[in-house]
Amino acid sequence: MIIQKNKIFKYKDLFWQLTLRDIKAKYKQSYLGYSWVILVPLINLTVLSIVFTFVFKVPTGPVPYPVYLFTALVPWLFMSNAIVAATGSVLANSSLVTKIYLPREILPLSAIASKLVDLFLTAVILGLFMILFRVPFHTSILFVPIILFIQVMLITGISFILSASNVFYRDIEHAIGVILGVWMYLTPVVYSPDLIPPDLKIFFYLNPMSGIIDAYRATILYGVIPLWPAFLYSFLFSLIIFIVGYFYFRANAKYFAEVI
Amino acid sequence: MGENFVIKLDNVSKKFKRGHRLLLKEALLDLFRAPRQEDFWALKSVSFKIKKGESIGIIGSNGSGKSTILKLIAGVLTPTHGTIKVQGKIGPLIELGAGFHPELTGRENIYLNGTILGLSIKEIDAKFDEIVNFSELSDFIDTPVKHYSSGMYMRLGFAIAVHVEPDILLVDEILSVGDIGFQKKCLDKMKEFHKNGVTVIVISHSPDLIKSFCKKVFLINQGKIIGVGLTENIIKKYNKLIN
Repeated sequence: MIIQKNKIFKYKDLFWQLTLRDIKAKYKQSYLGYSWVILVPLINLTVLSIVFTFVFKVPTGPVPYPVYLFTALVPWLFMSNAIVAATGSVLANSSLVTKIYLPREILPLSAIASKLVDLFLTAVILGLFMILFRVPFHTSILFVPIILFIQVMLITGISFILSASNVFYRDIEHAIGVILGVWMYLTPVVYSPDLIPPDLKIFFYLNPMSGIIDAYRATILYGVIPLWPAFLYSFLFSLIIFIVGYFYFRANAKYFAEVI
Repeated sequence: MGENFVIKLDNVSKKFKRGHRLLLKEALLDLFRAPRQEDFWALKSVSFKIKKGESIGIIGSNGSGKSTILKLIAGVLTPTHGTIKVQGKIGPLIELGAGFHPELTGRENIYLNGTILGLSIKEIDAKFDEIVNFSELSDFIDTPVKHYSSGMYMRLGFAIAVHVEPDILLVDEILSVGDIGFQKKCLDKMKEFHKNGVTVIVISHSPDLIKSFCKKVFLINQGKIIGVGLTENIIKKYNKLIN
């Protein structure tokens, strides 16, 4: 097609409209409306805090456990919600895909963007918690956008692969919830990486999210900038997934309209 | 380029596979089965050129490949063989209101659908009142479209589609819906487009719309173009074919 390249900016408005649609439509007809975006993480936080403060003790240094947990839970829930939404995004927009030309990448991307808006809201709650629990703010917090950027790259790459594959194999939509659940417990979200036996640490950090969650905690809670190998590995891993995902999506996008 | 062709199909063929493997289980089973002969050629070596400002009809019975041609021109499908060149902005009247979100209001859907059809927010701002007037839905514009009747839905969809100011208008069998007054309004708008130099392609299996609008018609049967010419002659040929 001639129309494809150099037209990214032309689709900027469409991108925002699709993002806005996802945000507006999701909570219509619900009594609590958009506050669900904050309620769900808070409920998760409360349950997990009770379990891991009173039942299993997690060493968190000077930081109270609920704040320690929430610092990881906020980016984790962002990722989990974004991947679920993006995976179904091509099928959910089947009426567009089969009728009108538009760059298909825009569908998973706008699904992710709508969850990014949710992330900013929950991040504000995290800030309030830090004030409430008197956790000091460090200048290293300025490093957070870089971590977020890397995480978004990882999410986008995974979403490209899953959303394209889901068109051909709809099992993915059903399996993704379970996989994300297992993945969360393989990542130091509810617990601390100090609990991992040293021999197993190398395997533990093969999971790119381990380095990313560690980095969020280090910069937000402990004032440390995480330029250590695990984080650099997460960066490279995310970059590669992003590139592979993009080309995989592009290669498959031309068949979407035939299969849906 | 120097040519004044806005659409050029060169030896275009389109193959579909019948029975796609939508479940992983079936895909795995397929590995152990002999490859099945399930290819279906919706189009076979179709070539044609359409000049700027022409009003072309494409006629053929169901399953002849009409819609595949339209989708190829719209860029929704890619050809298996051959090349397609399209110059200019396409206004698809293929499915009105594709992409409407039922929970959103008419107003919100104008912005959503408008950007889907290639308008910028600024352009929609400028045309908003005109679109609402054309749709005759100003009293319902802040109502979610799920409460619209199917006629209202079509009217809003059409109103947005015609304000895209396309260079090429693709018209599928859409005018069968809506009352006579609205149909006339649509036809008038299409004629206005044609007068302003817009290329219009109408697809139908019924000769009425094509007769009233197109000068030149392609007759398509089983994926091949079997006749090109003046509307009168081709429609005679088509009637013979289906009887």
